[in-house]
Amino acid sequence: MLELKNLYFAATSGAEDNGVPRKIIEGLNYNFEKGKFYVITGPNGSGKTTLAKLIMGINPVSSGSIIFEGNDISKLSITDRAKAGIAYSFQHPARFKGITFRDLLSIATGRNDDKFFQETLSRVGICPLSFLDKEIDATLSGGEIKKIELATTIAVNPKLAIYDEPDTGIDLWTIGPMVSLLKKELTPQTTTIVVSHNRAFLDIADVIIILKKGQIAYKGNLEKALPLLTDLSICTYPNKCEGDKDAGCLR
Amino acid sequence: MLDALDKKLLKTVADLESLPKGAYNIRKNGKLLGRQVSANIAIDTNADGTGIIVTIKPGTKDESVHIPVILSQAGLYDVVYNSFIIGDDAEVTIIAGCGIHCGSSETEGHAGIHDFHVGKKAKVTYVEKHFAMGEGKGRRVLNPTTKVFLAEGATAEMELTQISGVDEADRLNEAILGPDSLLLITERVLTEGKQIAISKNNIVLNGSGSRANMISRSVMKGDSKQIFHANLEARTKCFGHIECDAIIMDNGTNETMPALKALHPDAELTHEASIGKIANDQLTKLMSLGLTYDEAVNRIIQGFLK
Repeated sequence: MLELKNLYFAATSGAEDNGVPRKIIEGLNYNFEKGKFYVITGPNGSGKTTLAKLIMGINPVSSGSIIFEGNDISKLSITDRAKAGIAYSFQHPARFKGITFRDLLSIATGRNDDKFFQETLSRVGICPLSFLDKEIDATLSGGEIKKIELATTIAVNPKLAIYDEPDTGIDLWTIGPMVSLLKKELTPQTTTIVVSHNRAFLDIADVIIILKKGQIAYKGNLEKALPLLTDLSICTYPNKCEGDKDAGCLR
Repeated sequence: MLDALDKKLLKTVADLESLPKGAYNIRKNGKLLGRQVSANIAIDTNADGTGIIVTIKPGTKDESVHIPVILSQAGLYDVVYNSFIIGDDAEVTIIAGCGIHCGSSETEGHAGIHDFHVGKKAKVTYVEKHFAMGEGKGRRVLNPTTKVFLAEGATAEMELTQISGVDEADRLNEAILGPDSLLLITERVLTEGKQIAISKNNIVLNGSGSRANMISRSVMKGDSKQIFHANLEARTKCFGHIECDAIIMDNGTNETMPALKALHPDAELTHEASIGKIANDQLTKLMSLGLTYDEAVNRIIQGFLK
């Protein structure tokens, strides 16, 4: 249902790159099948979020193409991709002044009736009803805003749901229910892509894709992925590592 | 007695479809158009005939007063001095507002000079909307002044909104807070074209335990300009906060100057200020929910000024 063909993305360069565009995604080819649960993982800087944003249209494709349900969507705007049935859950969701959770749900679904909102919240389960009239502003905790982000994505019943690090800021007690929820929401009509390092998501994935330096290093089941992941987890910045004294290597 | 134009202006500034229930005083082109008082609310013309005195009896609950002003006479600059005396323990909502229709090339304007004396433990909610329209090229000018005096335990909640069409606005808000009193001001101003809006706010926290929170939301479209001054002066143990955010669209400009002055060791004053374009992550988020770029911009501005 979603096909990446020879996909490249290079970021506009900054001073540190001496004006040379930095290649982040380098020639990806992959076919995502309808109704499956994918987890994209890999070291920091390997291009996971960049790939997710390429699919949603937040990053522009440098070359290659993205085919969604048989149509080339590589040049479509974010808006048109949303209308085509792709939903995106941000790692760090935007905060607003004067826009409530109810407003977001209404923008996303085009509906504005309390009964529908209540049904949606009980279906999602992780947001209490009192969240509805909360403003999506700086007063929300990191966990609250992620729950709202997740619920908004689920509420639109997307054909393709992309979740970038859905467990960021979520407490330990909510991760289990959240994983079950994403699995439960997976129907034969939905395809789910989760960007995550969390073992809980890896455990339920149909397919695990490991990205390394903008390329697919592995695709397949968890069992064969584990030895690779253990290797990768030792140091995520092999080229920049400056030893123990410098926490910049972010082990 | 209300023509179609009057009705449109009244609807916009005071949410009134027809004459309101309860007390009201409607002023049109500098003259009294209609007045009604209630058992607890008296409205009298002041001694020199330049405005009104609204007196709310102590203990009055859940009543409202509408005092809209409408202007459609070419070249008129209407100045009015209104006083509001709110008795102890009263709770009242005052809905003011000025709508200008300018059909000529002459400047039209209104300056509402209002003072509020809020009694002990009384609570006043003041809602003011400013709006101008019309095909005329004359400038539409609104220069309001609001002075608030809060007695012990009194609360004033003020919502000041300039919706659209006002070419020049120079506003002055002043407040002196007594012990344990609370002042909440929310100001929302949208300017476009070549419009200029200036807002000056001087709040003095004079009584122990007093609290003030001033929120300002500004949107500058076109080549418009807004200048915002807020001075919080703390003379005792008190709490004060200023939050001023401005969104620049097109070529608008903004100057924001929050100032805090603590003259007492137990004063607690804070401010946050921001000026900038609409944040990209906000636009991206709303577009990912299916809105177009323009729809996303409108939705963000609508929320910001809500």
